[in-house]
Amino acid sequence: MVNRYAAKDFVQPKKIERQPTFKLPPVAQLFVYVLLTIGAVIMLLPFVDMFIGALRTPAERLARPPVYWPRTPNWDIYREVFRAFPMGTWFVNSLFVTGTITLLQLVTSVTAGFALAKYQFRGREFMFRIVLAAQMFPFFLFLIPTFFIMKFFPLAGGNNILGLGGTGFLGSYAALILPFLVSWYGIFLMRQFMMSIPDDILDAARIDGCSELRILWNIVVPLVTPALATLGLFVFIYHWNEFIWTMTIARTSPTLTTLPVGIYLSRSVFATPGQESLLQAALAVSVVPVAVLFLALQRFYVKGLTSGAVKG
Amino acid sequence: MAVLSSSRAGVKEKKAGWQRQKVLAPYLFLAPVILFFILFFFLPVVFSFYLTFTRWNPLSTPEFIGLENYRFLLTDGQFYLTLRNTFYYAFGVLLVELPLALFLAFLFSVSRAKAFWRAIYWLPMVTNIAAIAYLWGFLLDGTYGLVNLGLAQLGLRGPQWLEDPNSAMIAVILVTVWLGLGQSMLVFSAGLEGIDETFYEAAKVDGASTNRIFWGITLPLLKPTLLFVSITNFIGVMGSFALILVLTNGGPLQSTTTTSLLMYQTAFQDLRMGRASAMAFILFVLIFLVTLVQLRLFRRGGVEAY
Repeated sequence: MVNRYAAKDFVQPKKIERQPTFKLPPVAQLFVYVLLTIGAVIMLLPFVDMFIGALRTPAERLARPPVYWPRTPNWDIYREVFRAFPMGTWFVNSLFVTGTITLLQLVTSVTAGFALAKYQFRGREFMFRIVLAAQMFPFFLFLIPTFFIMKFFPLAGGNNILGLGGTGFLGSYAALILPFLVSWYGIFLMRQFMMSIPDDILDAARIDGCSELRILWNIVVPLVTPALATLGLFVFIYHWNEFIWTMTIARTSPTLTTLPVGIYLSRSVFATPGQESLLQAALAVSVVPVAVLFLALQRFYVKGLTSGAVKG
Repeated sequence: MAVLSSSRAGVKEKKAGWQRQKVLAPYLFLAPVILFFILFFFLPVVFSFYLTFTRWNPLSTPEFIGLENYRFLLTDGQFYLTLRNTFYYAFGVLLVELPLALFLAFLFSVSRAKAFWRAIYWLPMVTNIAAIAYLWGFLLDGTYGLVNLGLAQLGLRGPQWLEDPNSAMIAVILVTVWLGLGQSMLVFSAGLEGIDETFYEAAKVDGASTNRIFWGITLPLLKPTLLFVSITNFIGVMGSFALILVLTNGGPLQSTTTTSLLMYQTAFQDLRMGRASAMAFILFVLIFLVTLVQLRLFRRGGVEAY
């Protein structure tokens, strides 16, 4: 068995903490923290405003001028918002779709990244160029054609072999998941990490009679687990918040509504004067799970972003 | 899958087996991605390029009309208005965000408790765009929003941010900056950390002022990072429209309608798929050209890293 820990350090070299370049005098130090605090207040203000606003009663909303600080916080609003809207269904949809996408993207990134990093084969350079080039194509270019590929997919959702007659994938979760099966960035990231795994380890395993799939699963995957965690968190947060595609699909099939999209598509209900607290409570429910996830695991998240950025 | 399971035959046969496996394995590992590439990358791009030459309301079959969509768009005042809005938006965001993020990155790099600041400045990045739009909708309410109440405390009269065509785009730009600031700041601070300490030490020995160190050392060495941040931001801002869709839906008086938003409305409200596809392609080419220009400008400054 390979020593996992030694190899892991090899894949992800430890970062040396650097001392700040400039030694600042105490007054300047204070100034730095004052400015950072002002910035932080501006970053947090919308969220604080949301939490306070959700607790206002309709009467306080309708008073002129409106009351800013709720006199008696209306905590009941969070129960009410689940009663007024199918928030539970939306939440489960969000969780299911996001979870499935994350899992599938991790699988395709690991297998494709491994193939590109550790095998010699015809077409490798070509595939790698595709992976790099595909990242340059903005999503809006795919919006229209992908929608109709979903709709006219042959033999899906009552379609005949020519893709006509039914609704294709439009009514099913596949419509939300299929276009995001692969992340070009994820493949690239995995390939970069796997490049640094020594070939000797893999060859040793081969001589011991290990199949290629077992090599990937038992040797390579444990070595890149930190990178996988980063990528998984990235993908999960991104797709929990994904809006345009899900909204486009959910407008035609409401059963596929996720949390952020559901709030947007119910905006006419929220627009009733005095009901803004419901909207703010619903927003809080959509924001808090990912925020907590991010805060708990931010170490992984940050590492992934900056390593991708600096290496370009 | 049979190919991937190990054989239990004799040594010679086994060796031949794993060599064959090694040849086939990469193709099997890549198979799903290749299939995805054909179905959800190549096919959409080709299909939508074909659509740009057609008139298509999805209830009928596409009707080939040659370059008519392009001719229409290139003479359409509304389309030019959205292009103007798009560039105003993208450059506005860059102009405000880059200096601000760089300044914050300096503060961040000399501060303690980095994880704390990072968490706060990054919170918008993990918040869904609909929520961001609504939260700022509340804050920017002309009469009762916290922003204008705050300005009133300072004796200033804030505009009717989102209802006034003169200020709506400014509001959208400011919200977008708020959204992307944390990410740009962190990329900049990673870039700052990447600058070799010895440059600073040498400059200090030579008696250079902090000001000169910044303009003479930090900024030139930060150019790759500046390029990365400005290009990724630019592409992102030009192509995204979710924030605007929820915040203003392009209004008032189309003052915040960007090209990508108009494309979405043309496709999924007016059901003109051909024209919308042509818009998408024109916008894509424009983004590509602007990116090339940015690369050029920075290359002239001596950056070969990209």
